[in-house]
Amino acid sequence: MEYLYDNYSGALYGVIFRILKKEEIAEEVLQDVFLKIWDRFENYDATKGKLFTWLLNVARNQAIDKTRSKEISKDQKTTPIEKVVSRIDSEEYIEQRIDGIGVTEVLKVLSTDQQFVVEHLYFKGYSQSELSEEFDIPLGTVKTRLRLAMQQLRITLGVTT
Amino acid sequence: MNVAEYISSGILEAYALGELTEQDRVVVENNLAQYPELRTELLRVEEVQEALLMQAAIAPRKALKENLFQKIEAQKPETKVVSLQADQSNSNFWRFAVAASVTIALIASYLAYDYRDKWMNSEGQLTQLIAQNQRVAEDYNQVNQRLDKIESDLKVVDNPDFKRVVMKGTEGSPESMAYVYWNESSKEVYLSIQNMRELSKENQYQLWAIIDGKPVDAGVFDNNLAGLLKMKAIGNGAAAFAVTIEPRGGKASPTLETMQVVGNVVKG
Repeated sequence: MEYLYDNYSGALYGVIFRILKKEEIAEEVLQDVFLKIWDRFENYDATKGKLFTWLLNVARNQAIDKTRSKEISKDQKTTPIEKVVSRIDSEEYIEQRIDGIGVTEVLKVLSTDQQFVVEHLYFKGYSQSELSEEFDIPLGTVKTRLRLAMQQLRITLGVTT
Repeated sequence: MNVAEYISSGILEAYALGELTEQDRVVVENNLAQYPELRTELLRVEEVQEALLMQAAIAPRKALKENLFQKIEAQKPETKVVSLQADQSNSNFWRFAVAASVTIALIASYLAYDYRDKWMNSEGQLTQLIAQNQRVAEDYNQVNQRLDKIESDLKVVDNPDFKRVVMKGTEGSPESMAYVYWNESSKEVYLSIQNMRELSKENQYQLWAIIDGKPVDAGVFDNNLAGLLKMKAIGNGAAAFAVTIEPRGGKASPTLETMQVVGNVVKG
């Protein structure tokens, strides 16, 4: 369990924090996520995917559930674009905690459309159908854009498989 | 199914993101099991996703870890006790199973050794018994033969048709004595040694019947015989019997100087 925490808490916290924006809430959710993982670890089925995928799904769902709860008002999600920019600025402040190039650097290699989809799906807590509805993009287009983005990132991040 | 088309729809990315409904997820999982190339592509997507989010990682405050593991520790008694106990009883079971199998193995090898030992012992005992049995049988045969001999001797000795001729020691061997049992009508002659000295291997005793003043060969014998020894048939007219020492196999006429015993046939 400690191994899981040491290896994956950063990545999961990155996802949770970006969705929830508030440190104390994000910390609470991260704890809940690990307690859930601890409790349901026997549910993990390696034939259905990688361990990280399972952890991510638990964390992302938990964080999205939190945004829907009373503690986080819905309007935070629907913040206009100009406010998103300032949010990214605050993210950069947080990314100073970790070494290396920030994720924003990495995302710059993507087209604007692709960047938009990746940011909203991975870092803003949007589901694909929410993204489709709120920004009036066909669901199929959301999916194919994400696919193209992932193919580009595969090269950028040097994933060799 | 067109796998390439399926992949390019971006459904695997949605799957990896946990975006699919329960129903859609089951369909994808079935397809994954069916098409290896789908599995490979999913793995790629997952690795990109992991690499991206590792890149975007934010280290949580250190205090959070301690706090979390305190909570996990606190949860252990309630939620994990069952599985821990299960583990313990499980390990107890294995400990017991190992101990039991070691014990069984030890007992089995001891029993194997013990049974082999016993088997070897009984095998040895059986061999001994068979040998003993043979000895007893031989002894019995010997005894039986001796008994038969004694019975047949007794028939001779007890038979009034046999005349007992007592042959006494001569001057050269006064201690010597032997008997002859002679049935005149059946011509049978039996010899019984009472006391005759031991001879060298080259020599033998020879019995003579004196008929009409002339010695007639009645056969040779050694001094180690027990009971009666049947000699050559001697017919009518024997007046006396005598024993001389002769070279082994006997001679045609006696060497009178070596006469050991002699006795007359009692008339009547």
